[in-house]
Amino acid sequence: MLRLRRVVAGYGGSAVLQGVDLTCEPGSITCVVGPNGAGKSTVLRVVSGLLRVTEGEVTMGEETISSFPPDEILRRGVTQVPQSHALFPSMTVRENVLMGGFLIRRDKSLLASRMAAVEALVPLVAERSNDRAGNLSGGQRRMVEIARCLMLAPKVMLLDEPSLGLDPRSLAAVAELINRLHDDGVTVLLVEQNVRLGLGLATHGVVMEGGKVRLTGSAREVMDHPEIASLYLGGTRATTAGTTADPAARAHPPA
Amino acid sequence: MTELLQALILGLLIGGVYALMASGLSLIFGVMNIINVAQGAFLILVAMFTWWLWKSTGVDPILASVVTTPLMFGFGWVLYRTVISRIRGSSTSMSVLLTFGLALTIEGALNVTAGNKFRSATPSYFEESYHLGSISLPKPQVYGFVAAVLVLSALYVVLAHTWAGRAIRASAQNPSGAALVGVGATSTAALAFALGTSTAGVGGSVLSVLYPFFPASHYDWISRLLGIIVLGGMGSLPGALAGALVLGLAETLTATYWSLRWSTLVFYLVILVVLLFRPQGIFGTRLREDVVA
Repeated sequence: MLRLRRVVAGYGGSAVLQGVDLTCEPGSITCVVGPNGAGKSTVLRVVSGLLRVTEGEVTMGEETISSFPPDEILRRGVTQVPQSHALFPSMTVRENVLMGGFLIRRDKSLLASRMAAVEALVPLVAERSNDRAGNLSGGQRRMVEIARCLMLAPKVMLLDEPSLGLDPRSLAAVAELINRLHDDGVTVLLVEQNVRLGLGLATHGVVMEGGKVRLTGSAREVMDHPEIASLYLGGTRATTAGTTADPAARAHPPA
Repeated sequence: MTELLQALILGLLIGGVYALMASGLSLIFGVMNIINVAQGAFLILVAMFTWWLWKSTGVDPILASVVTTPLMFGFGWVLYRTVISRIRGSSTSMSVLLTFGLALTIEGALNVTAGNKFRSATPSYFEESYHLGSISLPKPQVYGFVAAVLVLSALYVVLAHTWAGRAIRASAQNPSGAALVGVGATSTAALAFALGTSTAGVGGSVLSVLYPFFPASHYDWISRLLGIIVLGGMGSLPGALAGALVLGLAETLTATYWSLRWSTLVFYLVILVVLLFRPQGIFGTRLREDVVA
């Protein structure tokens, strides 16, 4: 289980996260939504160790990981796909994915078996193997970024705005891949501006505002919450069936 | 025709040596955005050390690179860890200031210890040539070119086919992406800086035979090397190779068909003309414009 307890963190002395409590159950997909500046991406940077906490802690199971450097957190199976493109544009697709196994580079048989597994899960990796990553479309790059993370067989995958800049077809492919990861038992923590898409994919929802968690609950509860509807969804409930909102507020503020 | 062929071969031999000297500068800029204007001073430092070694022991100056290369690798590693790493994340202009300070320090130290006079290592083959029909190939240039090819090939193998090389290329293309896969920024930067500095080990030993030098010669060399990497495309190793060959050929063709005095001017004129039509340099990378590296 991944847990953030009273986490305070920020940049240049100003705290972006102001006491965040958040829990991701094993095998769940937790989607963090909220307006710009709410601190959603900062949550992911704190979990991956790219940003140090100034107060509070991040734990995985019984272990406190917030004091570890990023590579140690990576070794524990926490990988991140950031919001901006993270590939090495002049390297081939194969080299990019191979770099995802940098930490297991000395175990050649493990590296080869992971590569084969990743190619089976994301066929694009084999299909465009020798193409430079910088020449892929936005959707293809996103798939390769996720594929690269899979080289470490992650326990927790952090996805920052996976839908950003993607056309509907690419979006569907990325969503399908996330669902397959979920089926394989990977815990996914994703941040999404596209509330309908994010909560539609997720099992759990978290609403952040001003560096704090405002609401948590199942994805359905958060999606049905009237405040969410008015804040992000133009006043109506976000349902895939297109029904109107049930005003009952089942989502609850954090403990 | 023989004259043209002679000029072309000499141009390629000289260009190969230029490529060796420029490769370190290009690697360091490509990975760390550091313009190491001390690279010229490193070359002169090694040339001076090689000259001293040759003078006092008689060891072949170009073979001395077997000693000077690992020494410069170690020097580069320590220099990065103790001095250069302090400006990590600062602007490129800060790197110019710091490394210019280093260059002045080396120049001053050489002036004090070795004196301000021209030197040149002149081994037994200094004035000998190989002959292919009517074409003559000066032995020092041939040996220098062979050393350059060996070093550049080794550099290529390291960068293209080893994990350390992949880590260096990944850091050069996308530092935050490299961090996300577990590549240590500091150790990779130190390795790249040490590799870049070690090329001055071979380059300086070769320089001691091919060109007369004195402590302040580093100004001429850094101007030339910067010209080469700008022409080739900043940070691109194939670019440094192409830029060096183009300029080596331009120099020798000018010296053969016009005048030796004009060859330096033509060197910079070629850079100006190429950049007018290709501002990113010969090998400047062109990818989809929406790619964030």
